[in-house]
Amino acid sequence: MESSVLEDNILTQDEREILQEIMNIAFGKSAADLADVIDAHVELSIPFIKSMQIPDLPEYIRSHVKDYKLINIVEQKFWGKFRGDAILVFSSGAGKALIKMLQSEESKSFDSEPIDILESETLMEVGNILIGACVGKLAELLKDIVSYTPPMVLVEKEYSEAIAHGYYDHDKKAIVLKTDFSFDTGNVSGFLFLVTTNESIMWLKESLNTFMDQYE
Amino acid sequence: MNGMIKKILIIDDSPIARKMLKSCLPKDQGYEFFEAGDGKEGSVKYQEVNPDITFMDLTMPVMSGYESIEEIIKNDANALIIVVTADVQMKAVKKVLELGAYMVLRKPLNREEIQSALLKVHDTLQGAG
Amino acid sequence: MILNQIFDAINLGIVVLDRDLLVQKWNRWMEIHSGIDADKMIGKSIFEIYPDLESSKFKRSCKSVFSFGNFCFFSQKLHSYLFQFKTSSYLGSDFEYMQQSCAMGPLRNEDGEISSLYIYVQDVTENAAYQEKLKDLNIKDGLTGIYNRRFLEARLKEEFFRYKRYSGKFSMVMIDIDNFKEVNDNHGHQCGDFILKMVSARISSAIRNIDYLIRYGGDEFCCLLPETGLEGAYTVAERFRALIEFQDNNYDDEIINITISLGVSTICDSVDTPEMFIQKADEALYKAKKEGRNKAVAMD
Repeated sequence: MESSVLEDNILTQDEREILQEIMNIAFGKSAADLADVIDAHVELSIPFIKSMQIPDLPEYIRSHVKDYKLINIVEQKFWGKFRGDAILVFSSGAGKALIKMLQSEESKSFDSEPIDILESETLMEVGNILIGACVGKLAELLKDIVSYTPPMVLVEKEYSEAIAHGYYDHDKKAIVLKTDFSFDTGNVSGFLFLVTTNESIMWLKESLNTFMDQYE
Repeated sequence: MNGMIKKILIIDDSPIARKMLKSCLPKDQGYEFFEAGDGKEGSVKYQEVNPDITFMDLTMPVMSGYESIEEIIKNDANALIIVVTADVQMKAVKKVLELGAYMVLRKPLNREEIQSALLKVHDTLQGAG
Repeated sequence: MILNQIFDAINLGIVVLDRDLLVQKWNRWMEIHSGIDADKMIGKSIFEIYPDLESSKFKRSCKSVFSFGNFCFFSQKLHSYLFQFKTSSYLGSDFEYMQQSCAMGPLRNEDGEISSLYIYVQDVTENAAYQEKLKDLNIKDGLTGIYNRRFLEARLKEEFFRYKRYSGKFSMVMIDIDNFKEVNDNHGHQCGDFILKMVSARISSAIRNIDYLIRYGGDEFCCLLPETGLEGAYTVAERFRALIEFQDNNYDDEIINITISLGVSTICDSVDTPEMFIQKADEALYKAKKEGRNKAVAMD
């Protein structure tokens, strides 16, 4: 089941290790800065790198979330030399838990909004910041500048209907960077998948090697 | 700097991170490097080698940096451990300093930061001498 | 040269703020719609002129843009607007203030560091008006213009969730027109429709902004009273009853009088689902009918 990056000859062993360390650094810094911005402690796990054919992606994501039953998804495209899709999957109930977490002096305004709008707004806001933190820090280390599309959100959907078979390019390969996250203010956890394809991969290889040149 | 610092132990599960650290250290000081790939191995190596400075990563398999620091300090209260980490949240920094780490440096490393850290260590060792 | 002209010609508001959230740029569009010249804005804190902007969400967004260089989006659906501009059209509008879709992003200096952020502002008032109309078609009753049953179901779900989190009071009055069939039989269906409109209008005028009047069925209405306990709701129900009893409905020069029966229920520990809530009100309504109609009954 595990397809090694080496098998597909996408990244060399060295490049893979450099990417791993860069992600460690990027996500570690993200967690620190995130705590500052949203005033909550976020644990980001050591990121995991996997390559696969694009059509296998939905099943891959599904295999991780099937214990969740209901999920929330925030998706954003990012576009720099490093480009792709960020797919953030939250456990069920995350929207409501995050509303509570962000609620401060402004509880008044929160009460006047319908709950489902508040939920999707909060998921989008936190999702946007989380994605921006991880992608942004990664891009920064690789000396790239990235822009983003507006986030899209799905609230409390059954995982099987949420992650559909889309129109996928069958000959496209992808590198998936996956991290687990969890908030210390109870019960919000999930996965972040960064999917980057052919176009970015050549540039990625180059910039990984450039990065290491500083340390020769 | 004279030869107060001879043996350096680097504990980090990423071979790239270890390489990066080594390259940031001055090349002309004749340092002897020792490496370990997880907290447990690191603690064992420490006892074997008795290094002058230890650089420690936090997120490692088998035994985390936190536990490794605890174990090393237990066996050598004067151990000089510099934590090198990307995750510099207050919570983490506080915890390692409480456990007995000497200082915390953030990744990615640069030469200047490492140099001034070494100077600080040197002053401390001289003072203690 | 060209970019400067685009900056002022574009049909989009552009504001640039530095790391202290002081205004660095305020383009022509912003001048026109705010009525404030750029030179009066530059160097000032954005919150000085627009104190309502100073929310934790806005500050959080700015912080994340400066920390991560991400883009933050403020959709009209969720925020209505960022900058409070009165709608300026003489043609009339559904909204008191311009509806805006906004976004915020990083601006870098020569060293590649994020030194400022931009906010762009799009006027989406027209679009928002269409959306409102569509929404209304979905949750309003065609004849009377008040909310429909679909709305009731959604609303109750909301309120019960709120009650479970915050407790608090919430009551319902179920209203049924007495002998409505007779009105239809004696005066025709058009008159029946007329009576429905009269009743809903009268009761609507007697409720607060936070209350909801819903057309529940053919001749049945339901009134939701937030933050009201059983006693308060009963008083309100009585008031409705009297209003309708003494209202002369003039249809084709004929005065028609009708009465209503009302059943009142309230959320409490033993009534903890929407279904039970409605059932309790129905039971009270039934009692009112049995006890002679033109009556309000409260059930606890």
